[in-house]
Amino acid sequence: MALLETTKLSKSFGGLRAVSDLDIAIEPGTIHGLIGPNGSGKSTFFNLVTGVYQSDPGSRIVFDGTEITNMPSHEVGALGIARTFQLLRLFSDMTVLQNLMVGYHTHVSYSILTAIFDRGAVQRYDARTTEEMMDLLEFIGLADYAEMPASELSGGQRRLLALGRAMAMRPKLLMLDEPAAGLSPVNVEHFLAIVMKLKEKFGLTILIVEHILKVVMETCDTVTVLDYGEKIGEGTPNEVKDDHAVIEAYLGQEMDDDEVRAILRT
Amino acid sequence: MTVATAIVRPFTQAVGKLSAVHRLAPWLLVYLLLLPLPYVLSGLFNDYYVYLANRICIFILLTVGLNIVKGFCGQVTIGHVGLYAIGAVSSALVSLHLGAPFWVSFPIGVLVAGVAGIIVGLPSVRLEGAYLALATLGLGESVRIMIAVTPLFGSSTGLIGIPTPEIGGFVFDSFERYYYLLITATMIGIYLSFSILRSATGRAFMAIREDTIAASVHGINVPQYKLLAFVISALYAGAAGALFAHMPPGYIHHNNFTIIEMVTLLLMVVLGGIGHIWGGVIGAIIVTIIYDQTLEFYFYQPLLFGLSMVILVMFMPRGIGGVIDRYFVTRRFIGAREGKTDGAP
Ligand SMILES: Nc1ncnc2c1ncn2[C@@H]1O[C@H](COP(=O)(O)OP(=O)(O)OP(=O)(O)O)[C@@H](O)[C@H]1O
Ligand SMILES: [Mg+2]
Repeated sequence: MALLETTKLSKSFGGLRAVSDLDIAIEPGTIHGLIGPNGSGKSTFFNLVTGVYQSDPGSRIVFDGTEITNMPSHEVGALGIARTFQLLRLFSDMTVLQNLMVGYHTHVSYSILTAIFDRGAVQRYDARTTEEMMDLLEFIGLADYAEMPASELSGGQRRLLALGRAMAMRPKLLMLDEPAAGLSPVNVEHFLAIVMKLKEKFGLTILIVEHILKVVMETCDTVTVLDYGEKIGEGTPNEVKDDHAVIEAYLGQEMDDDEVRAILRT
Repeated sequence: MTVATAIVRPFTQAVGKLSAVHRLAPWLLVYLLLLPLPYVLSGLFNDYYVYLANRICIFILLTVGLNIVKGFCGQVTIGHVGLYAIGAVSSALVSLHLGAPFWVSFPIGVLVAGVAGIIVGLPSVRLEGAYLALATLGLGESVRIMIAVTPLFGSSTGLIGIPTPEIGGFVFDSFERYYYLLITATMIGIYLSFSILRSATGRAFMAIREDTIAASVHGINVPQYKLLAFVISALYAGAAGALFAHMPPGYIHHNNFTIIEMVTLLLMVVLGGIGHIWGGVIGAIIVTIIYDQTLEFYFYQPLLFGLSMVILVMFMPRGIGGVIDRYFVTRRFIGAREGKTDGAP
């Protein structure tokens, strides 16, 4: 059974259909790529799944056997879906460690009453959580920056922090929206290596939006291609890259398919 | 129970208790040092300064509360003074008309303000920024107007003869004596705000302030936490109000709860540094003193405070707390950086 499955998922903004009757199934344990030209609806798909946007009537999203259509974001998060944002949306004025502690929020077992009446218990609990978060920071290579405000990190470190904050949720499904955008090729490699290690260690399922096609071709098990909110292709990277519709959507009709394939391979 | 736990348990429990002592000791020390303040002040200067110390305590409670909702949770509210008024009037009424002692009327005042806090907070679920400010301003002002026009609430004469608290024969009937009550409440208030804010709840508030969407995606029930922040801050305002009402000479008037009070309060938070507990306390102390020292120019005070706020926001947006933080954070980093330089890209 698929971990995440959408049926007839749609979203209109006024007259614009940003996502249109989309059926996607993400199998557990896989890395699923989502690609498509700018404005094809990839981020909108993320926002629909995580409850940031309400979907149009008739849409259905099921995660791990639970229907999550139009469920509030915080409940979706608690069920085990973590995501990053294309524009990161870090908690800039909080420290790196605090960013992760917020990610851990759904697992915190004490209430505000404990916080008020038993400060010692909270301190001990938070100390344990801090240990766990520090392990995670070490894993992604940000441990030395734990006490630094997120706003002072470099671009690459911010991307890692967004990943770490999502991982602090201990998710089953990790959804990454262009996580390596703006990184140098070396850093893209580094970033992806960490993602792969995390997947390995925590048995994750991953959905990744990525513009660098080489990355998609090398890391994904399955790729779904969107264009104008519709699915125009799906399959293994090899199947997709030979798909005429995909090639057309991506690069227009001017080039012939062989030329395009050559580009996709690089 | 294994032998190991039988031996270890009492030990860890002892450690737990020890750490509680360790945690509370500095607070107790400061508290004990601050207790004789009225005698120092009246000895060195005169009774007026004791009165000023009392006012400072009340404003600290108000600022700490406002800082929770505005500084930590990022919700712009101009309704805080209305909640302060509600706490004052309800505690006063309960003791004036039902003859209840302060120890009964005070918690009632606090609770009524807390419930009112839900109402002031409700717009925050839908509105943000300036719109939220306007909505809360409307609610706060309507409280004042209601007090001003309702005879039961004091209308133009105000409420007179609100009884002073008493415990075991000790009557808090002078500024010196009332100070004990206020400094106790203030220390507890500050301590509790640390307990709340340095927990998952405080981090949730800050996350909402930083980015509402990211906060909710990371599992934070945003509307619920916003309301919680409003209610907690309302409890503080209610406590401050009730303490104000019963302070000798036991007199409150709707003029104590105007928009000017609100501007003064906001200035305390902004000067102290939005989202910085100690900064807010320092802001409350400084602004209350300035306010009292410039009373003869009361006509220009709103202008003075409004302008200071604009200047602060423009040139010192993080206030005093920001300066403190910067100092500590920079020092920590230099240490961390010198230790290790390798790291992520
Ligand atoms: N909140 C919104 N209001 C109106 N239109 C929107 C909104 N969000 C997205 N859209 C529109 O929906 C379409 C799909 O946008 P989306 O951000 O999902 O694309 P994308 O595939 O993520 O593109 P990119 O590769 O540039 O990130 C675009 O035409 C966009 O302008
Ligand atoms: Mg996008």
